This record gives sequence, C-alpha cells and structure tokens, in this order.
Amino acid sequence: MGNEDLTRRSFLAGLGAVGAAAALGGCATSATPKSADQKSGAVTIQSNLSSPQAKTAMEALTAAFNKRGGAQSSLNTVAAETFRTQLPTYLTSATPPDIYTWYAGSVALTYADKGLLLDVSDVWQGMGGYSDALRKLSGDGKGKQIFLPTNYYWWGVFYRKSNFAKWGVRPPTSWAEFVTLAQTLKGKGVAPIGLGAGGNTPWVASAWFDYLNIRINGAQYHRDLLAGHKRFDDPQVHKVFEQWKTVLPYFDPQGTAIPFQDATTSLLQGRTGMMLIGTFFADAAPKDVLDDIDFFQFPVIDPAVPVAEEAPTDGFFASARSSHVAGAKEFLTYMATPEAQEIYIKSSSGTVLPANPAAKDAGTPLVAKGKEMLSKAADLTQFFNRDSSDALQPTADTALIKFLQQPNQVDSILTDWQKAAEKVWSA
Amino acid sequence: MTTLTAARRRPRRSAEHRVSPLLLALVLVPLAVEAFWVFWPALQGFYLSLTKWDGISPPEQIGLGNYREMLGDGTFHLALRNTAIWLVLFGGLSAVGGLGAALLLQRERRGVGFYRAALFLPVVFSLVATSLIWQGMYQPSGMINKFLGAVGLAGWQHAWLADPSTALYAVIVPALWRQIGYVMVLYLAGLKGIDPALYEAARVDGASWWQQFTRITLPQLKSVNSVVLSVIVIDSLRSFDVAWALTRGGPYHSSELLSTYMYSTAFQSLRLGYGAALAVAIFVLAFGVIVTYLVRAFRESDA
Amino acid sequence: MTATDARTSTAAAPTRPAPAAPTRRSRRGHPLRTGLYHLGAGGLSVLWLLPIALVVVTSFRSFDDISANGMGSLPHSFTLGNFADAWTDGGEMHAMINSLVVTIPTVLLSLALAAMAAFALSRYRLPLRRTILLVMLAGNLLPPQILLVPVAKLSEVLGVFDTLPALIAVQVGFGLGFYTFVLYGFMRAIPNEIQQAAVVDGANVVQVFLRVILPLTRPALAALGALAFTWVFNDLLWSITVLRTGSKMPVTAALIGLQGLYVSQWNLIAAGSVIAAIPTVAVFLRFQRHFIAGLTLGAVK
Repeated sequence: MGNEDLTRRSFLAGLGAVGAAAALGGCATSATPKSADQKSGAVTIQSNLSSPQAKTAMEALTAAFNKRGGAQSSLNTVAAETFRTQLPTYLTSATPPDIYTWYAGSVALTYADKGLLLDVSDVWQGMGGYSDALRKLSGDGKGKQIFLPTNYYWWGVFYRKSNFAKWGVRPPTSWAEFVTLAQTLKGKGVAPIGLGAGGNTPWVASAWFDYLNIRINGAQYHRDLLAGHKRFDDPQVHKVFEQWKTVLPYFDPQGTAIPFQDATTSLLQGRTGMMLIGTFFADAAPKDVLDDIDFFQFPVIDPAVPVAEEAPTDGFFASARSSHVAGAKEFLTYMATPEAQEIYIKSSSGTVLPANPAAKDAGTPLVAKGKEMLSKAADLTQFFNRDSSDALQPTADTALIKFLQQPNQVDSILTDWQKAAEKVWSA
Repeated sequence: MTTLTAARRRPRRSAEHRVSPLLLALVLVPLAVEAFWVFWPALQGFYLSLTKWDGISPPEQIGLGNYREMLGDGTFHLALRNTAIWLVLFGGLSAVGGLGAALLLQRERRGVGFYRAALFLPVVFSLVATSLIWQGMYQPSGMINKFLGAVGLAGWQHAWLADPSTALYAVIVPALWRQIGYVMVLYLAGLKGIDPALYEAARVDGASWWQQFTRITLPQLKSVNSVVLSVIVIDSLRSFDVAWALTRGGPYHSSELLSTYMYSTAFQSLRLGYGAALAVAIFVLAFGVIVTYLVRAFRESDA
Repeated sequence: MTATDARTSTAAAPTRPAPAAPTRRSRRGHPLRTGLYHLGAGGLSVLWLLPIALVVVTSFRSFDDISANGMGSLPHSFTLGNFADAWTDGGEMHAMINSLVVTIPTVLLSLALAAMAAFALSRYRLPLRRTILLVMLAGNLLPPQILLVPVAKLSEVLGVFDTLPALIAVQVGFGLGFYTFVLYGFMRAIPNEIQQAAVVDGANVVQVFLRVILPLTRPALAALGALAFTWVFNDLLWSITVLRTGSKMPVTAALIGLQGLYVSQWNLIAAGSVIAAIPTVAVFLRFQRHFIAGLTLGAVK
C-alpha cells in the first residue's frame, strides 16, 4: 500500500519545509528597509480615481502643477479596488510612490500609527484659512499633520422635485413627518425608501446605520463604537435597530437585491420615492435630470442629541519613505490652494465642496444647500469605513444586510457582529 | 510515495536506463523556475499561516493558533460545506457537460466550428462585463424573472443573488457557463486521440452507441479524465473570481466559499496570517483529492 | 511505459480525417437527425451566447440611456462612441499592447518548458519522476492569492518589480506545473514502439523530442496553447501584484479601471470587453483546427 509510508513521509517533509520557511519567512513579511536618499525626478502620484471623468480631472490638476515650473509630478492611476488591496504593499515597499489619494479619518490613521505616513505639519502652516475641524481631522492625534484634505461631500435623502410635486408631498422636517411621508408614498403605490445595497454595494446600507446612530446616540458614541470602545451588542445599539425597524416596511423590497447605481435609476424613474445617498450618485444620473434633484437632511430623532452630519473628506497623504520629500510637500502645498481645488471641481462632476474656504464651489443651489447644512452641523462624521477601517466594513455589510432581510434576528445579528468586529480589531 | 515502493520492488526496470544529464536538465530547468516563483513564495505562505499579521507590522508568531481558530470558526465550516456542494455540482456538471459537448461537437460538419466557438466564448470573455450581465439577469426585474413570469412560473421568481437560500446555486450557473467550454476543449483534444479503428471494429461487432461509449470512449479517455479531474478540483477549490464578482460570498456568508473567505480574511479584514492558514487548508484538500486519485491511477498503470 | 496496449498500437490509419461517429447512417445526413442536431447544438449555442449578446447590446448604449432606463431595459440609444472612448480615453489601446507583450512570450516559454519536463518525465524512467510531477502539480493547488505578498516582495528584492519581464516570469512559473501535468498525460500515452523505432534509426534524445514526440502532441499543445493564452491574457491577479504603474497594466486592469470609485461606466466596460475578447477569440479559432484535426495516431490512453 505505502499509504502509511506516504503520510509519514509527507508529514516529515512538511515539518522540514515549515522549519525552513520559518527561518526565511522574514523575507516576505519584513518591510524593506527605508531608502533615505532623496532622488531628483518627478513626484509620483498614485491615484485611485480611475473613472474617465475623475481621471481627466486629476490629469488637469497634475498638468497645472507641472506648468508652474517647480517640482514635476507624474500621475499613475490604478483601479480603486486594486489600489485598496495594494495600499499596504505600496506603503511598505522600498521604493513607494510619493503621494496617494485617500480619505481622512481613522482609515488613514491606521497607516500613520505604523509610521508609514509623512509628517506634513509644515505644509499646514500655510493653511491658516482651513477650519479647525478639518485640521483636527487631518492630524494623527499626537500633534502631527499627516493628511491634506482637498474636498468633501455630503449625504442626504435625495428625491426628484418633479416626482414629489406629482405625488403632492413635501420634504419632512422631523422624524414623525418622515414616517408620514413614507406612509403617504406607500399609499400611492411607490416604494418610499430606495436603498441599493445589493450587488457589490452592500456598504450603502451603512449610511442608515451611521445616521440612525449619530441621531440617537450621537457622533462621539458612534466613533467610540467603531473604534472598539463600545460593543455592537450594547443596548444603545439595539435602540438604533428598534428605530430602524419602524421604517423598515417602507424600504424598497428590492433594496438588498440591486446595486446603488440601479437604485438610482429606480429613484429617477419614480419607482422609489427617496434615497439616503452621497452626492456621488449624481454621477450616475443623466445630465438632463440633475436640475430636478433635491435633498433633505436626515431627520432629527432626538432633539437633545447635537446634530451631526456625514461629510466624507477626500485628499492626499504622502509616504514616510518618499524619496522626493521636498517635491511631495510642494505638490501638497499646491493642492491646498484655491486654484488647484477649483481646477479639480471644474473638471469633475461638481457635486463636491472644496476644502479650502477661499475656493469657489460649483455654485449650484444644490451645492449651496449642502454646504449650508454641513456648516450648521455640530459635528461631522466621515462614513462607516472611514471612521473605522476598510477591514471593519465587511462585518457591517454582513450584519446590516441580514438585518434588512431578517429584522427579527437582530439579537443574534448584533452578537455575531461584535464577534466578527473583535477579530478585526485584534488583527 | 508509491513510485518509490514500486521502483524498489522492481529494481530491474529502474536499472534499464542510465540517467543522462541532458534529461535531468530537461526536468530541472522547469522545476527550478517553478521552485523560484511558486515554491519559495509558497513556503513563505506556509510560514505566514503560523503568524498573526496585518500586512504592515512585523508578523507575530502564534504557532498553530490560526488552525485552532479554524476548528471553531462557524464561517469556515459554512464555507467548507459550500465548497463541497460546489465541488460536486460545479465539478460534476462541468465534467458531464464538457464531455457531452465534446461528443456532440467532435465531428466536422457544417456549423460545428460556430457551435464550438459559442461554447468557448464565455471562457475568453472578460469577467468584469459578464458578471455585470449575470447580475443584471438575476435581478428582481431581470431577464430570468421576466422569463419565468412569461411562461407562467411567476411563483418561482426570486431575488436570486440576494436570497441566501439561492445565492450559492445562482453563482454556480455562470461558473458552469464559463467552465464547460474549457472542459470541452480538453475532451475534444482527447477524443481526437482515440484510434478510429476501434470504433470500426466495434461496429463490425454490432456494438450499440452506448456500448461504444462505455467500452471504448470512456476507457480511452482515462488520461484526459485525470487531467479534467485535476482541473475540476483545482478550479472548484480555488475558484474565486465568479463568486467574488457576483456576491463576494454574501448575503451574509450564504455563498461563501473557502476561496472567497480566504480572500476577504486576508485582504479585507487584513488578517493575513489566518488567510494563509485558510489557503493551506484549501491546498491540503486539493492535494488530498488529487493525490488519492493519481496514486491509484499510477498504480493501475503499473499493474 | 505501459502505453503498449495492443489496441492503441494499431497505427492503422495515419491520415484518416475525422473519426468515429456512432453510425454511418447518421453521418450520411438522415435529414431528421441532422435537423435535430442543429436544433440542439444551435439552441445550446444561442443560450450560451445570450449573456454575451447582452454585453454587446450594452456596448452600443449611451451612459445616459443606461442610467435613465436601467441595464435590463431595451436599448433607447445607439452609439459607436463607446468603442472609441474605451480605446482611447480608457487607455485600452496601450493596455492591449501590454497584454500581448506579456501573453505571447509567456505562452511560448511556459509551453516549451512544460513540454521539456513532460517529455523527460513521461518518456524516460527517471528516478522520482512521479513525485516530481506531483510536486510540480502541487504548486498549482495553492490558492494564488496567498502567494501575492511574497511574490511582490520577491520581485522587489530582485529589482524587477513593476516591469513586464517580471510579470512574464511569474506567469511562466505559475503555469508550468499544470501544463507539465497535462502534457505528461498526453505524452505518456504515445506508444513506445514509435520512440524505439526512432532510437533504432539513431535518433538522440533531442531528436526524439523534437521530431517524434512533439509532433504527436500537437493537438494537446494546441488546446493547451489556446487555454494558456486565454488565462494569461485574462489574468488580473498577477498583473496588479507585480505592476504598479498604470501605463504598464494589461487590458484586464484597464477594464477594471473603468469601474469608478462609486459609479461605473458600464457601456464603456462592455465596449472594452468586446474589444478585449478579440485576440483570445482569434487565437481559439486559429488553434481549434489543430486540436480538432485528426491525429495521425491513436495516442491518448
């Protein structure tokens, strides 16, 4: 037979291999030593803005930077999903790209904590006009600035003005009115609340969790929860889901079956009445309906809780191992100027707000309304993954999609969520 | 291994040939290339499975901790069960379907080139676009539900990919759609190798179609079968792209396979050590199935 | 070797065309059976082509049409512009060149190396030959995702990170085990008499390989060549692991790039996919003649 022979042999062989690998393992896992030498040549910008429109905007931006005649930059665009999975590899490589497109908040701090991000505090010295909120958001919490914000956008409950007029309804100003509105729409045969958490965009459902949590428990509780200082099976989190259950009957039954891009189509066609979504969804709308789109603020639930809004902030950070530190800082300094931010907004779809208060936004009524809502907010959050990490997002997707489909199992869902989150936090 | 045992039992035969350096080079050069780019990184992968690592900080040795976690990990058990279902359904149907298509399309006749190309096209077509189309077809208002409604089966309508009870099977269908043309090509090459004289002799003896199939075609396809079996096991256990593109293992792990779970653990949760341990588990399963089959096949051919 | 099965060594019909359909009657076109055949095979083909036809339809639609009416609706627009946009703005032309620059050498190199190894392992009584074969195959059983990080670091240490030759090397290394295994299966089945006859005529190892075994393995090489071309051409995993510069990325990565952070241009992706499928379809059509063409000998056991 030789079977016993086979197993014993392979076992011994395996043991030997593991030993050898352990001895050599450092090779794969150690971060390659830092190359301190500063090189001449272009500053490399690694960008995840790969869709044709956003890519064009980034190209315009780097071209404008290069025309100034100082340091030169070269733009390198890769797909967003590729970028996300490769970012740790980029940052730990011996010859990393210098600058990266990324998001403000906890999702950047992970890398700062490992010492992988360049200290750009001196760039911030020339940025007096920036709000304290943005300054704080871009710090590492230990006195260093590690991020440079360029623009931000807002989330709201979007709807089509002509559809609301046709149905004879008006945007609500309180939670009670919101529920009444949903009832009215349902009576007219419209699915009141669109979602779009199917396909590859289950994360859209996190917006509901975020907003309900910051409306009921407040922004600070929300951030503590996402950082692992509170538990997902906490009674206060249960309250969020109890509240959610009261409007669940008004959600589009297709909500977990179609991705948000198709949910946008449903909204525009009037199959759904309204949708909690970020302004990026306008990129998925035909140009001729943009003027017909409006939004209202996510309704206040508990007036005692200071009103916070989601305002995800985009921008850049630089690698601590950059071999073009001076050039990288020059690039970031330019990105902070009104000129640069206006170029970007002009070439992009125009629903984002510039981070520099001196820069002009697109100036449409929609953008003005969004800007006003954020300026009145007592606190700003980023979004689920940005306030925690990309690693925690899948645990939320699993829990929330299950809740949307099986709301009665909320107890076990939250227990499982806590377990899954603990694995991520301890990783 | 059995080879060794066999060689020891029959020293006469192994002494028949001297091993020339040229022959050794023919084997060792490819082996060295593979060793460098595959075995060496693989050893590091094995090493990683004994650590806790986030991809950034230095990995932390935890011995067999990852493997111990696997024993109590409900999602792992679910993924294991789904992978077994996948192996049976996807593997079995793609072998049967591929062989059937090859038998149907083996003979040169009018239009056969078109039919073959039609079955092979999904193999070559970009996954990004086809997964989008399958997602569209599976949607609540998609083509499949519209078709069911039109033929009076409205009761069967479903949110195929979003319903945990159907998601796994809904992913298997496009995976089969992509795999059958591939298996067909392997079988076509195999069928062409069968000596036509065998069939003629059988016909003279008055053998029926079925008798020819079971007594000539199947036995003659033996070595292709071991290739196909390996392909199926490899693809079932590693198959990742279709499942990832369509559901990412969701909704809530209902279509989770070992491969998707490994990927999301390593590259989304950034638990690369546990991800590596899952990869090792996949490897052990695949190796176990294939070696069991091959060692038996080798022994038969030695007998 | 054991391929000296009496039945397969008939060497009877050297250049016989297509073999062996079940019965002579059906070959002579019983009209009803022919009709049924085309109905069955045609129906199957249509079913198989349906999803791809939908991709083609999408590639002719405008973005505003898709976003206003949905992916699943009937087209309300017709444009050829998507192909031009994908080709130029999407950077597909450049990416296509990269893909071919990587794919062609990879396929040639890996098939050559695999044929060498398979030849030596299957035709000669080398020590440990089956163990070596299993070890080579085992390299393909490991989920490739787990090799990503080590391979990236390895190519960085070698100083070839972010170069196309590194991608070729990785792809060759990763394909070898499986190709060797497949070719071994086909080569092992070639009757020993043929090889012995050549040896008697004074052929050395290299001549046996090039003049006897390789020509007899042609159908398998062609089938494997077509499949290998498809895999390497459609690979995304290794390219994004070994490459970092957008302009070096192959066409698969360029297509993924058309998926934006939030909103994807499905019409462009569809058009790009249609373009990207052309080389692989061409290779399949070109190669299928070889692996379909009648073999000179009953070879596969």
